[in-house]
This record gives sequence, structure tokens and C-alpha cells, in this order.
Amino acid sequence: MWAYEKRLQFPVKIKKTCPKTAQLIISQYGGPDGELSASMRYLAQRYTMPVKKVGGLLTDIGTEEINHMEIICAIVYQLTRDLTPEDAKTAGFDAYYIDHTKALWPQAAAGVPFTSLEFQSKGDPFADLFEDLAAEQKARTVYDNLLRVIEDPDVRAPLKFLRAREIVHFQRFGEALEMTKSNLGHNNFYYFNAEFDKNFYKPEEHC
Amino acid sequence: MIGNNCCTSPETLAMASFPKQEWCGLYDWDTALKEGTIFTCLNLPVYFADAGSSNLETKGSASDPAQQERETLMGKISAVSFAINDLTLYLDTHPDCPEGTPLFHQLSKERMDLLTEYASKYNPLTQLSMVTASLDNNKYAWAEGPMPWEGGCI
Repeated sequence: MWAYEKRLQFPVKIKKTCPKTAQLIISQYGGPDGELSASMRYLAQRYTMPVKKVGGLLTDIGTEEINHMEIICAIVYQLTRDLTPEDAKTAGFDAYYIDHTKALWPQAAAGVPFTSLEFQSKGDPFADLFEDLAAEQKARTVYDNLLRVIEDPDVRAPLKFLRAREIVHFQRFGEALEMTKSNLGHNNFYYFNAEFDKNFYKPEEHC
Repeated sequence: MIGNNCCTSPETLAMASFPKQEWCGLYDWDTALKEGTIFTCLNLPVYFADAGSSNLETKGSASDPAQQERETLMGKISAVSFAINDLTLYLDTHPDCPEGTPLFHQLSKERMDLLTEYASKYNPLTQLSMVTASLDNNKYAWAEGPMPWEGGCI
């Protein structure tokens, strides 16, 4: 169950229209390392996690990623809200405008549509947690790349915030890895799959 | 082992080991929101992060005093709520932390009061704050107020 709260996790107040910047930032909506991908990855993986508290962490981080998706969409929306017909022709947003006008649609900066092929839910706690650690690093790289080329301070403020969150999430997934390791009671972490081989690992009582 | 706050598993071949974060100095809540974490030890900016200035107005900058007051209250809600978000993730992996849990309760109470105040003065941001602010039973206040993505007009 989710409940909507009528505010952004980080305020977005952009004064200057810039479709070119929107075209770049939309990647963090529907791109390979975007926030939609992040939330769907964590929220998909949580059900079968052998350690209950790791499932809890995936729920909380997955929920925060939905907040981040909303921040990204607000940035794109405000950057294109006052788009003129002339901008639509020349300002680096022309191909997107033809298909979506000014509406939000999840795609990568290069136009590739959002797809679940961009993330994995593997059903093995180590495979999945390393996927999550890598995801946070890849998203952090995208925010670095955006901050290198975008100058508008109104846009930089939320991007800096989002970049910092990737590093915090990386640390938390590292701690989740340690929780998983210490819960398995085995030194060979590849001897069995705790999400499948029930004769080797009895999940905690969840009720 | 999960309750153990300071220990991580011993290093083994073919497996990564992570240091567990220890409780460290906290930013004030406005700065924490601007930086993206409440923990001073986890704030690791890239060298060009401050190459341009970045704007975060939690104090309210509108020229109209009523709007300024509204923005300031929203700024407080954003800052306190974010502190809870960051603290939640910390407590998810440090459930026995003696510093974190009392702070979580204190911040949650502050947040509830701020949401109640906002709902009584302006519009409800959560459906529960319609109740805590004792709004008129016969008026559907949930539909009121600007949508969050509109930015300037909160």
C-alpha cells in the first residue's frame, strides 16, 4: 500500500525554459539507470529476499526512488512548460515533441523507451544485491555527467541532492549485504541459493 | 548477528565486505536536505558539485509576506520529512542504534504537527492531516492546493 503526499521530496522551482536540458534529464525518468528502473528493480526483488530486514530496506529505498522519479518528472515538466512552437522546432526537443508534445513519457536521453530489460530480479540474494550496488553507482555517474554540463542553479540543486542519495543507498545496500552474509551461517556463500534451496536455509518466520 | 551494531562479517575470498556506518555528526535539517544526507560522514561531493551555485530556498523568498510564510512552513516540512527518510534507511540496517530511534520518534512528532499546521492554514498534504487538523467534515479538502510539480506556486 502506498499513500500519496502532495509535495516533492526535494523542491523543484525552475524559472527558465530549456528543452535541451529536459531532453538530457529525461534519461533519469525512463533511461537504463533511471529512477523508474531503480524503483521497479528494488520493489520486484524484495518479495523473495531471505532476510526480512533486507526486504524492508528494499521497500524503503524502492519507495524513495518513486519520490525521485517524481522530482525528475517535475524538472522535465518545468523545463518545457512554456515551450513555444519555435522552441519545438529548434531547441533540441523536436523529435520528442512530435511523439509526446509536452507530456511526460519514460524514455532514455537517446530516445530508447523504458523497458524492464534494463534491470534484473534474479532470485539470488548476492546476484540481486550486487545488481543494486551497481545500479546506485551507474545512477551516480549519470548525475555526475548531468552536473558537468548543466549550469542553471535551479536545476543543479535537485540533481546534487539526487546524486548524494545514490551514495547513501550504496552504503545501505552494502550493509544489507553484510546482514545477508551473517544470516546465512555458512562461509561458502555459493554453496546454496538462500532464495531457493530451503533445505539449506530456513527463512525467518515472517508472520 | 543482525542485532550486532558494530561488526561486519570477516573477509572471505570471492565476496565483498562492507564497513558498517557508525553514527556520526548530523547536519541541521535544512543543510541536510540541501546536501542530500543528514550524516556528515556520508556526504561525498564530486569536485565540480559547487562549480555553479545551486538554489535551495527553505526559508521562503516570495515578496508577498503571506506566501513567504507558506513557503517557510513548506520548507520546514521538507527538511524534517527528509531527515526522517534518511534516518529510516539508517535504522533499517542499524535497528538497535541507541541514538537513532529516539530521534526518529521526535522527528515524526514534529512532522505530524507541521503537517497539521499546514493543513489547517492552507491545504492538506496527506489525507491523515485532514483529520489531525480537524478540517470541516463536509468539505473535500484533499483536492485543494497546487500540485507539487508546479513548483513556484506552493
